[in-house]
Amino acid sequence: MSGTAAAETRVEVRELGKSFRLNGAVLEAVKGVSFDIAKGEFVALLGPSGSGKSTVLNMIATLLKPTAGHILIDGVPTVPNKASRQVGYVFQKDTLFPWRTIADNIGYGLELSGIGKAERAQRVQACIEQAGLQGFADVYPSSLSGGMRQRAALMRTLIMEPQILLMDEPFGALDTHTKIDMHEVLLKIWEREKQTVLFVTHDLSEALTLADRIIMFSARPGRIKEMFEVDLPRPRDAVALRETPRYAELFTHIWHSLGEEFIKDRAP
Amino acid sequence: MMGRAPTTVFWQVLICVAVLALWQWGFDLHGKFPSIVPDLLDPYFVSKPTEIVDQFLVLGCFKTGLGHWNGWSNGDFGRCMVKFDNNLWFATWVTLKNTFFGFLSGVSSGFVLGLILGRSDRLSAIFQPFITAVNSIPRIALAPIIVLAFGIGDSSKIVTSWIVVVFLVFYNTFAGARSVDEGYINAARLLGASEWQITRSVVIPSTMAWVFASLTPAISFALIGVIVGEFIGAEHGIGRLIIESEARGEASGMMVAVIILMIVGVILSALIWRLQVYLLRWQQQRAQ
Repeated sequence: MSGTAAAETRVEVRELGKSFRLNGAVLEAVKGVSFDIAKGEFVALLGPSGSGKSTVLNMIATLLKPTAGHILIDGVPTVPNKASRQVGYVFQKDTLFPWRTIADNIGYGLELSGIGKAERAQRVQACIEQAGLQGFADVYPSSLSGGMRQRAALMRTLIMEPQILLMDEPFGALDTHTKIDMHEVLLKIWEREKQTVLFVTHDLSEALTLADRIIMFSARPGRIKEMFEVDLPRPRDAVALRETPRYAELFTHIWHSLGEEFIKDRAP
Repeated sequence: MMGRAPTTVFWQVLICVAVLALWQWGFDLHGKFPSIVPDLLDPYFVSKPTEIVDQFLVLGCFKTGLGHWNGWSNGDFGRCMVKFDNNLWFATWVTLKNTFFGFLSGVSSGFVLGLILGRSDRLSAIFQPFITAVNSIPRIALAPIIVLAFGIGDSSKIVTSWIVVVFLVFYNTFAGARSVDEGYINAARLLGASEWQITRSVVIPSTMAWVFASLTPAISFALIGVIVGEFIGAEHGIGRLIIESEARGEASGMMVAVIILMIVGVILSALIWRLQVYLLRWQQQRAQ
């Protein structure tokens, strides 16, 4: 299937399906989805809205219960509502707790697992520096910009050192400039830590900038339509990358395939 | 808090002076010019400021009923305090103490109940009709039953106070616990929070704004509960003082009690406000 197939498999998704009951009608959101993610791989789940990509991610995160198929993480089946300690999740919506300061938000996970105050403060400080949030440790999220809040949210997840990072359109609500900023932050961290990342997005350029592989979903019911290897060299520069001919080539190639899905989505 | 403009203060002082002056001399003016000034402020019913001050000094044991000052060093003040067992100070203390316990028990039980039912669909479905039914009873109507059951001591006042406060806090906490953003709960769960940790670190803090919204009315309700309990049967307290003054046909005594209640109410509300500003300080930045 790909060059990474030989590497150790981290996440296995087999014949996954999810249907919702909506006013008596059964709505099939996801149907027969199977894929493998290798250890340390950065995979983007790309597709139009309503293609079930977030549903797949939420099932991997155990926030949703699959109605068909199963998910294995390191060979172990997932249990609903019991998130694995090695899985980290970053939401699209800002879910920083408004009643906690930025430092207390970032340190929340460590607090839950009973890490002492001194060690916590030290690790939180390191994260704050990494995210460029110096001077904002003791303010509440309401006085931060959207980009800064999302950086803090990313750090709240990363401080737990998750092996698998699930991201649901984390930069979807940000303006283009802030978004590219966040890509640089994320790439820098990932190139150092090499977590396994599943990144849901409907933005093709974002997927190309970040991912090793793009799994493209078709419109309702969500199925995998195609997979693309993104063979752009690393380390990547989120801005300079867009100038390269290979980027343009991949963009055009995938765009046509994606375009069909958007048209299908629009049709009655 | 916002600073008040000098003209605002000027008007406020002017209104106070006008009201006090009308209260003091309005009835006399009516006597002189019955065709211009209406017969509204009969001191027999509403007393007048100077009489109220005198009565305050008597009820507070500063003066004897005959108008002599009670000395502090010669022990007259102390003797008056002992002999006159429902003096203003003791009455205020009793009413405040019962208000405090009624408020405390009402708020804590309402909060816990609201939290439990708010977070459990099953329990809230079971108890919903009962709560609605009991809530439809005007709570004050229960006061005589409570005094009958608990006697004329402090406990009946605390129970009356509790029963008017508990529903108020319960409904607010319930609504707050229902409206906790699922995003926060999911975020906490994915960071490894147990159900108890979610309750403590997510549900309770995000419900606090709702709870506080009910505390200012709750403290007034607690005071109402105690006063009504004292009206029905008590040996001490401000409510009892009002009933005694009424029996003697002393409007001034009732007015002293009402003014003390007003001052107590303002102080208690201010304390709640200070506490709220501190505990919900994360909201302040947004409010500005």
